[in-house]
Amino acid sequence: MNRLIYLDNAATTFPKPASVLKKMIETYTRIGVSPGRGSYDLAAEAGELVSKTRQKVAHFFGAPDPDRVIFTANATDALNIALQGLLRPGDHVVSTRLEHNSVLRPLYHLRRNGIIEYDLIPFDGKGFVDPEDIVAAIRPNTKLVILSHVSNVLGTVQPVKEIGYRCAEHKVPLLIDAAQSAGIIPVDMQSWQVAGLAFTGHKSMLAPTGIGGLVLNRQIESIEPSRFGGTGIDSGNLIHTEAFPYRLEAGTLNLLGIIGLSESLDFIGEMGMESIHTGEMELLNRLRDGLSLLDGIELYCAENLFNHVGLLTANVRGMDPNDVGAILDADFGIAVRVGLHCAPLVHESLGTSPYGSVRFSIGPFNTGDDIDRTLAAMAGIARHKRRG
Amino acid sequence: MNGSAAPEQKTGDLQQKLCVIAGREILIDNEGFLWRVEDWTEEVAEALASECGIDKLDDVQWTVVRFLRNYFSYHGRAPMNRDLKAGLGISLMDLEALFPGGIRRGARRVAGLPNPRSCT
Repeated sequence: MNRLIYLDNAATTFPKPASVLKKMIETYTRIGVSPGRGSYDLAAEAGELVSKTRQKVAHFFGAPDPDRVIFTANATDALNIALQGLLRPGDHVVSTRLEHNSVLRPLYHLRRNGIIEYDLIPFDGKGFVDPEDIVAAIRPNTKLVILSHVSNVLGTVQPVKEIGYRCAEHKVPLLIDAAQSAGIIPVDMQSWQVAGLAFTGHKSMLAPTGIGGLVLNRQIESIEPSRFGGTGIDSGNLIHTEAFPYRLEAGTLNLLGIIGLSESLDFIGEMGMESIHTGEMELLNRLRDGLSLLDGIELYCAENLFNHVGLLTANVRGMDPNDVGAILDADFGIAVRVGLHCAPLVHESLGTSPYGSVRFSIGPFNTGDDIDRTLAAMAGIARHKRRG
Repeated sequence: MNGSAAPEQKTGDLQQKLCVIAGREILIDNEGFLWRVEDWTEEVAEALASECGIDKLDDVQWTVVRFLRNYFSYHGRAPMNRDLKAGLGISLMDLEALFPGGIRRGARRVAGLPNPRSCT
């Protein structure tokens, strides 16, 4: 069989850039000590690398203060820190039916425990949320609006800039889940008036798994830590420090991951984010156009690929998407993601519950040949199914 | 399968219910997968196959079921996609067509393997 065609880049990009992996090993071999903790120069050097990476991340997202770049394990971790740190009894939250479980489950947990209430705004037939619907759901006790910048099922880029302005008018902070957008769609937190952003390194940011972050604008002041411990500063005090970023970071940082993130940001800078996006969208258009010509294939919210990233959701009529994924893997050497994609409400709205769909997600290293082979495979599967 | 006899009970995100299958009370989940692998018998397989719309399992289908049972028994897990293809010597596309419910809800369910719970 030919090499694996990897089309599960929305789960995690693979492979990672070889230069990023090489630099990770080189740097970690040289300064892989506890960053910022200890009186020796190497610890200071590692600490400096962490600080510089915070600066890079802040600059990347248009955030004003590198000290408000909090390193986390991933976007889910960042979202939990934000939601548990910001919400208080009696608060109301506005979110959407597009969300991943990384938002839905923490919200549901808080509601089930009688702490908050929330409303989930539906999306339209093209996969977009209307900012006016968000505004209409804001109540006097609304403490937060939270939504995905990009749907992990549909690939649609939500109008975050407009939602940010509208939230600011109502003095409600906007937190965005940038898991699927970070590294492929530009974000400018300050000008868009985004109060907070959760990202993960291992998707379009092309860093390894295990590193992500929560980036806060200065308007977020009253966020409480939900975990406590060593920070490397103010160690004589039993009260966890309030200074950012340590307020929300406890324990030794993932230095190897931070090195990877630093290097991957440089890689993206060299490649050009727009150029990566353009390349992926060319392939996505080719995939969409090919799939739409096949009998027996259903596509979801894919008529118009403007404001989109390189992922597409489909089904083969009459087939369990789990089986389609298994066939693509074993018979054709193509890796895709099947099922509900941890976003059950999207599938409920699409009518694809409980089995979900097949998601094709393109990365910077996919080629036209990958798409052509995928189209041939899908044509074969659909034809086979029609013959029964 | 002859209807449910006991109230549903939530266990994680799957639900258990007690059903009479091939004359025996057997726990299944909400998708009709056996809760306990050891409840499987050839009679249960025929009953589950009948649920899928198969009158009687033929030799090829029995080969698939026995392969899945043996693999699971030896390895303690279902075969990976490539093992399934290599072990059966047929494409998964052909395997999917052999059972009206397909691979997961057809072959795997009839073989009495647990419902795969990887993130869906």
